[in-house]
Amino acid sequence: MSGNHLLEIKNLKIDVRVTKKRRLSIVDTASLIIEPGQIIGLIGESGSGKTMLCRSLVGTLGRRGAYIASGQLKFDGIDLISAKQSVWNEIRGKRIGYVPQSALAGPNPVMTIGAQLAEAILQDENFPKADLEKRSLELLNIVQIRRPETVLKQYQHELSGGMKQRVMIACAIAQQPQLIVADEPTTGLDVTVQAEIMELLKQIRKDFNTSIILVSHDLPLINEICDDTVVMHAGTTVEKIPSKSIKASKHPYTLALYNSRIDLVVPKGQLKTINGQPPSVGSWPEGCRFSERCDFVKDKCRVKQDLPLITIGTSHETSCLRYDEIAR
Amino acid sequence: MKLLVYAMTKLRGKNTVNIIEAKNVSVIFDSYGDVIKAVDQVDFVLPKGQTIGVVGESGSGKSTFARVLSGLQLPTSGSVTFMGKPIQSGRNTYEGALRKEVQMVFQDPYGSLNPRMRIVKAIAEAIRQHQGLDKKASRVAALDLLESMGISNLDAQKFPSKLSGGQRQRASVARALSAQPSVLIADEPTSAIDQSAQAQLLGLFNDLIKKGLSIVLVSHDLGVIRYLSDYVYVMKDGIFVESGKSEEIFNNPKEDYTKKLISSIPGRSIK
Repeated sequence: MSGNHLLEIKNLKIDVRVTKKRRLSIVDTASLIIEPGQIIGLIGESGSGKTMLCRSLVGTLGRRGAYIASGQLKFDGIDLISAKQSVWNEIRGKRIGYVPQSALAGPNPVMTIGAQLAEAILQDENFPKADLEKRSLELLNIVQIRRPETVLKQYQHELSGGMKQRVMIACAIAQQPQLIVADEPTTGLDVTVQAEIMELLKQIRKDFNTSIILVSHDLPLINEICDDTVVMHAGTTVEKIPSKSIKASKHPYTLALYNSRIDLVVPKGQLKTINGQPPSVGSWPEGCRFSERCDFVKDKCRVKQDLPLITIGTSHETSCLRYDEIAR
Repeated sequence: MKLLVYAMTKLRGKNTVNIIEAKNVSVIFDSYGDVIKAVDQVDFVLPKGQTIGVVGESGSGKSTFARVLSGLQLPTSGSVTFMGKPIQSGRNTYEGALRKEVQMVFQDPYGSLNPRMRIVKAIAEAIRQHQGLDKKASRVAALDLLESMGISNLDAQKFPSKLSGGQRQRASVARALSAQPSVLIADEPTSAIDQSAQAQLLGLFNDLIKKGLSIVLVSHDLGVIRYLSDYVYVMKDGIFVESGKSEEIFNNPKEDYTKKLISSIPGRSIK
């Protein structure tokens, strides 16, 4: 079965080196499966491990002093955990494109945009250099940058935030990858550009059957574009649910996130916030990690135990022990 | 437009004091021979205690305009006044006691905090500078402020690089608030914050508005603008194409551009 999935993450555990001997888990028991052509939304609060999970897919965990401690990570049948640098060179940027979270600071400050695009395009060694400028302009046109000829000569500090982000997306799609990991690609962009970029991602999926992991804080956005939504909390995946039926979620955390949307209240009305703060890395509670903030909590939730995702419907999995008692 | 601003000011109540007024402000940049009019002869008023939203596409000039209001960018022409006094004298802006009255929260949280200072120390220093508290009291005040922004005492001891993007953004809002300003200019304050933290931050902004803080909110997020703003300016290519009361703009937009912006809000269908 597993051979058919484009990406299969199973019980992934990512640790970070704090000191020589001390290790901290930042992602623990994360599971995710993506089929070709599927768009998956990944949501959760800051610090829940979304970005680290994304980084594990492009093999750049090491730069943050992190590493995969255990679990499975397979891309198109290739085991990425034991992959050597030569394998990564064939995958990173070519088969898995990455739009980093800090796209605002993403482009290299001492390279022109043209030089950076050239770097992305020339990862394919067979690409004819004569066509370089044409392809660069084509990519900038795909991401709808105005005055592309001028932008090629400019540096990142001369571009607005939205333009920088579009340049990063242009770099990510240069090789027409099978999977695009977009870590908050539209954060900082205005809604019209966001709508255009979402259209663009949908078009790329349609044209090339590309799978997309879309990390975002924007629940309405995820609902609109993604097939399935995966919810992360404190380093674990707590629910996987078809985006259309997110209102029928069977996890209190997903429901709390849904209810904190500002478009559900009148201007200056009382916003529903989630109780307390997300637990800090290294001080996760035992048992269910949402237990300290949960309105539905019972004593059994606090008992030390593994909470795997339980399948409760068509592509609907939850880790809540009391899922059958939750009504919205 | 000048007439409109005048009428607008009158309409919003005779007792309203305009805390910031911008008249005929232009900012022109030169880029590789192209003359870019980032802001083109705009008028703007911020009445005391109100929240004004500025929306527009990226590159429309809203960040530049916010920088002009906060005194970080000198306008090519036109003038900005704070409580009737010009903010600019020569190449300086907001001199003396005015300095702490207007504070800004930047689009990029990475750039607003000293990477070599623990969060609590950075905020405590700002508090000591602006409020004249001693070292110990400023530290306590900093921890309190950070707590109210959703940053726990444990996280407050960390360096900015050890915080997540959302926490860092909240810390930079805390830094701006540490000067106890009367005007807060927030340039995309919620763009890197997750939804539950955004709800917390907006709740806090709401409390600050109730306490009389005037806010200029520059955001691409129309949901945030709708939630907080009393009055909205819509910016396109350096000019305000439409302005009006928040509910009028959102319920009955007149310009095609505003209609396009509002129709792009995701998820309107799944309410």
